[in-house]
Amino acid sequence: MNRRTAIAMGMLSLWAACVVALEAKAEESGGVEVRIGAVVASNAGQVFDQRLASLRRQFDSLFQYTSYRLIKEERRMVSWGRQAGFDLPGGRYLLVIPRECKDNRVSMKLILVEGSRPLFDTVLGLRNQGTFLVGGPRHQEGRLIIAIAADTNAVPR
Amino acid sequence: MNCREAHPLLPLFFDGELDARQLRGVALHSTRCPSCEQELQQLERIQDLVVNAVTVRADEVDLSGLWSGIEPRINVVPPSWMVRARSWWETHQYDWTWPASALAALGAAALLAFALSPAAKDARPPQIAGVDNSANLDVVESHVDSMALLSEPETNTMVLWISDEEGAGTEEPGGLP
Repeated sequence: MNRRTAIAMGMLSLWAACVVALEAKAEESGGVEVRIGAVVASNAGQVFDQRLASLRRQFDSLFQYTSYRLIKEERRMVSWGRQAGFDLPGGRYLLVIPRECKDNRVSMKLILVEGSRPLFDTVLGLRNQGTFLVGGPRHQEGRLIIAIAADTNAVPR
Repeated sequence: MNCREAHPLLPLFFDGELDARQLRGVALHSTRCPSCEQELQQLERIQDLVVNAVTVRADEVDLSGLWSGIEPRINVVPPSWMVRARSWWETHQYDWTWPASALAALGAAALLAFALSPAAKDARPPQIAGVDNSANLDVVESHVDSMALLSEPETNTMVLWISDEEGAGTEEPGGLP
C-alpha cells in the first residue's frame, strides 16, 4: 500500500466512525429521557440521601424537612407523543406524555393518579435537562416529593 | 530605414537586442541592401569562428580533478537543520503513514465504543437535577383540596404542592415554609 492508500483508509475509518455516531445520535433524537425520582421527606432523623446531592439546595430552600430519602428512581426513553407510566410508592401512578421540544423547553402532559382518583392533570413546559417537583402526598412518616426531569440529549438505555 | 540608420544597429540586430519596431526596420532594409546583408553574413561568420574556437579550447581543459577538489570542502560544512529535517522527512515520510492511520482508526473506534457503551451512559450521576429548572404549567386540573405552586429563585426550581387531607393548613413541621 502506498501513502495515499493508507491515508485514504485512515480517513475512511474516521468517516465510518462519524457516520455510525451520527446515526446513533439521530436515533436518540426521536424522544426524550424522562427521569422520575420519588423522595420521602420527613422529620424523622437527619438523613440526606447523597444521590439527591444536586437537589439539596432546592430542598433546603423550598422545604423544612430534616430527612430526604430517595426511595425510587426510574429513567426511560419516551418517544414524542407516546405515553409512559411510572409506578410510584403508595399506589400512585404518574403518566407522562412528551409532546415536543421547542426553544430548549420540553412540553409534556402529566397526570398523577392515586388509586383510581386523579390528583392533577396538567401540561408542563420544562427547560431541557431541568427538574420539576411535585410534592405533598403523605407517605410513611413524611411526604412524598416526586422529581420529574426531562433530557432530550440523553443517550437511550 | 536607410543604410546610415541601419548600419549601427546591425550588431544589435544580430544579437537580438532590438525592439520590435527597429527589428522590423533593419530586417526590411537588409533584404533590399546588399551591403548590410553582407555585413550580417560577416557577423555570422565571426560568431561561428568564435564558437568553434571556444569549444575547442574548452574541450582541451581537464576537469577530471575539479569535483574531487570541491567535494572535501563541501563535506566539512555541516548542513543546516532545515536541510537535515528535509532529508529526514524524505527518508521517513512513508514510515509513519500506516501507524498514524491505524492509530487514527483505533482512536475513532475507541471514542465510538465509549460513546455507545453502557458504561458511558451509567457514568452519568444518578441525581435528578439541572442548573436551570425553569418551568411553566398550563391550566392544572386538580381534584385535591389544596394546591400551591412555589419557585426556588436560585435555580428556578418549581414545586407543585398538593394536599387532599382535611386540615391541610395545619402542615406538620417541615412542610412548606
